[in-house]
Amino acid sequence: MKTVKLVSLLAFLVALFLPGTALAQTDPGVQGGNRGSGAALKFVQNDDNGNNPGLNAFFQDGLKRFQDVESVSNSATGNNGLGPRFNSNQCSSCHAQPAVGGTGAAMNPQFSFAGSSVAPKDTTPFFITANGPTREARFPFFFDQFGNADPNNPNGGVEDLFTVSGRPDAGSCVLVQPSFSAARAANNIIFRIPTPVFGAGLIENLDDSTLQINRAHNLNNNFGIGGDFNHSGNDGTITRFGWKAQNKSLHIFAGEAYNVEMGVSNLLFTQDRPLPGEDGNGGTGGTGLPASCLNLTRTGYPEDNSNPGQTSAPLVLDDVSAFANFMRFLAPPPPGSVVLNGVAVSATSIANGQRLFSAIGCATCHNPTPGTTQVSNNTPTTSGVGSLSLNPVNAFSDIEIHHMGTVLADNVSQGGAGGDQFRTAPLWGLGQRIFLLHDGRCTNLLCAIEAHRSNGGEATNVEAIFDQNLSSSQQQDILNFLRSL
Amino acid sequence: MQTKFSLFLALLGLSMSLTSSAQGAPQSGGDFSNNPEARKLPTGVLLVKGAWWSASDSVTPLPEGGRMDKNVYSNQYFGLTYPLSPDWTEKFSGPPPSDSGYYVLAQIRPAETFKGNTRGSILIAAQDLFFTLAPATNSLELVNYSKDSLSADYKVEQPPTLVRIADHSFVRFDYSAPVAELHWHVLATQIRCHLIQFVFISRDSKLLESLIEGMKKMNLPDEAGPISGSGGGEVPVCIGDYASGENVLERVNPVFAERRFNAVPVRIIIDREGKVRHTHFLSAFPDQAKAISDALAQWRFRPYLRDGRPVEVETGIMFGRALPTATPRSTNAAAE
Repeated sequence: MKTVKLVSLLAFLVALFLPGTALAQTDPGVQGGNRGSGAALKFVQNDDNGNNPGLNAFFQDGLKRFQDVESVSNSATGNNGLGPRFNSNQCSSCHAQPAVGGTGAAMNPQFSFAGSSVAPKDTTPFFITANGPTREARFPFFFDQFGNADPNNPNGGVEDLFTVSGRPDAGSCVLVQPSFSAARAANNIIFRIPTPVFGAGLIENLDDSTLQINRAHNLNNNFGIGGDFNHSGNDGTITRFGWKAQNKSLHIFAGEAYNVEMGVSNLLFTQDRPLPGEDGNGGTGGTGLPASCLNLTRTGYPEDNSNPGQTSAPLVLDDVSAFANFMRFLAPPPPGSVVLNGVAVSATSIANGQRLFSAIGCATCHNPTPGTTQVSNNTPTTSGVGSLSLNPVNAFSDIEIHHMGTVLADNVSQGGAGGDQFRTAPLWGLGQRIFLLHDGRCTNLLCAIEAHRSNGGEATNVEAIFDQNLSSSQQQDILNFLRSL
Repeated sequence: MQTKFSLFLALLGLSMSLTSSAQGAPQSGGDFSNNPEARKLPTGVLLVKGAWWSASDSVTPLPEGGRMDKNVYSNQYFGLTYPLSPDWTEKFSGPPPSDSGYYVLAQIRPAETFKGNTRGSILIAAQDLFFTLAPATNSLELVNYSKDSLSADYKVEQPPTLVRIADHSFVRFDYSAPVAELHWHVLATQIRCHLIQFVFISRDSKLLESLIEGMKKMNLPDEAGPISGSGGGEVPVCIGDYASGENVLERVNPVFAERRFNAVPVRIIIDREGKVRHTHFLSAFPDQAKAISDALAQWRFRPYLRDGRPVEVETGIMFGRALPTATPRSTNAAAE
């Protein structure tokens, strides 16, 4: 009798003083195991298009090149052209989690660059830590001649972290890193983490009309959500890649990244890239990179080019085309089971979470399936799942840009996207992502959900429904569902 | 000898200065700052906007110009005041108007002082009927379109029905999400060619009914109504598509410095002489707004006559990319 009373008393005290512990919902966290992310579309794997070499050969070649480590010059493997400014020397060093083509890994490779053979004369920027997100940095505004950030002079371009200064393969090129610490002091710095590119070919192959029709249907909601598309400045069609959906195609996406993030000029971006203000942007008077930092390969521009002397079809391609093929043929990340605190989460919870996700309005932007792809001439004889043709795109994104308000605003405009507008991040593969949101500020789903609540944001009402109107177990079901993606 | 030595010193000095300028802290400007006491930019403030709302003057009321003050939501454009109980408040402002004419006017939720066991929220929204993508010409049709478009996540509890609250007509539409145990009670009316929606969301039906009961304190124009509601007093007559055909006596196309591909919905007020006296951009880049304003200043319209007298007209024009209209989704399995 005394034991029963004691247990009851203890239970009462726990409920009184530790209610959060008893009822708190928990992000199951990054799910381990091999879900199969990073594989090619089934159609590509089977090489079934009647050509020789088939698509799989192009995929494998692109995968290999994605992992090549670039040098400035004199590379034993012929991978030259790095720098003179760069964020990393290897595509897959940033796009690594949970497999090649993903997002940033738990250990940041950028942390080891400064002072090593990669960037011998550089210092590690303050925002690059051993276990923090792989990042690029941008200054929303140019500094004026007094060293103040000028809010009337927008910048927003990538400020490369590292230089080739002091590398034996960089000749006499000496450059200074951007003023990251001063930018921090002036509240004039924002970050971006790598976007995963699994399933990118499916997103690329959605016709504009499909996206427009999807948008028109989603506009009729009672959640306060609008949404728009970003458009190509060349032909006005819908752009879809990047955190602000600023890039039209995987070719442009790859070419820009190769040039901006790694400094390799290519067939799409044919010059070495200075910093945004280094070439006179923003009225700085700059005149570009110094001559000692140009043509470091000594083979002329662009540094990445096609290889007509090769006899194998994939090897004839330039790197950017190979990267684009790799990304295009990557299968979407498969969903998987979820483990929370060492215990498998029930399928019922995950299914309930998906229904709740839709019912409370999350799916208004994070559409489970914005549409089905058009016929692709890469896979014309096969359609449906495993192909690029007539395949439903289960990306959990409407590919639109939405106002996210002041909490997430980065004051960088790209194309038609303003400083607080972001593309609805595709959630497929979320279960194995470590760093969340565009700048990697969150490692917990609850943090990321809360960031949807903001002055000026379209998602505030939906976040309020999640926060205030769902029970803890319902919230947990949604978290379990999200980590199953 | 001395000349050679001087030349050597000069060259040495030059090479040292070049080296220091490459390796030392650069002068401020562009990507660099050597100012240890630089001004801090404000945090939490949006300084770089994309396409945004703007108006030709700051005096003419705008749909997005309403605000909460001491628990009363008031909106001069719609002639609306909506008193709420003290334990309801607006914590976060809404997004800017969309390029399809959708406004979040207010997002209201319980304050810290709220004592109830269950929570809820009130969304006050408006849809400009000139720019809606839905195939609807009035509020009743738009609410019915909403009902027809509901996904299988929802169950209709009460189909759109005309109701009266404090001598005003609304269309009421109730639905729920059984999986979330959430209820939506939507009360809608039409003012100045806008659908105005009061969306009440909660798990607690009693709370929702009490909030709807509270709508009796609302002031609206007498002319508001779900089928052909207009504004009250001396507000302009709203007429869709007035800026077309024989109504436009003189037209000048805007000259854009840069080609963009966004839709630019514009509301204008035409005075009694047929000139544009007010321009409201729901969503436009500054250069687009300037070019369109300059053009509209040269437009001339046929004055609109009511009872033989010219009156002001409010109408909408879409510049830039036209948006495709929606078609009704196929009927879902939701029970009615």
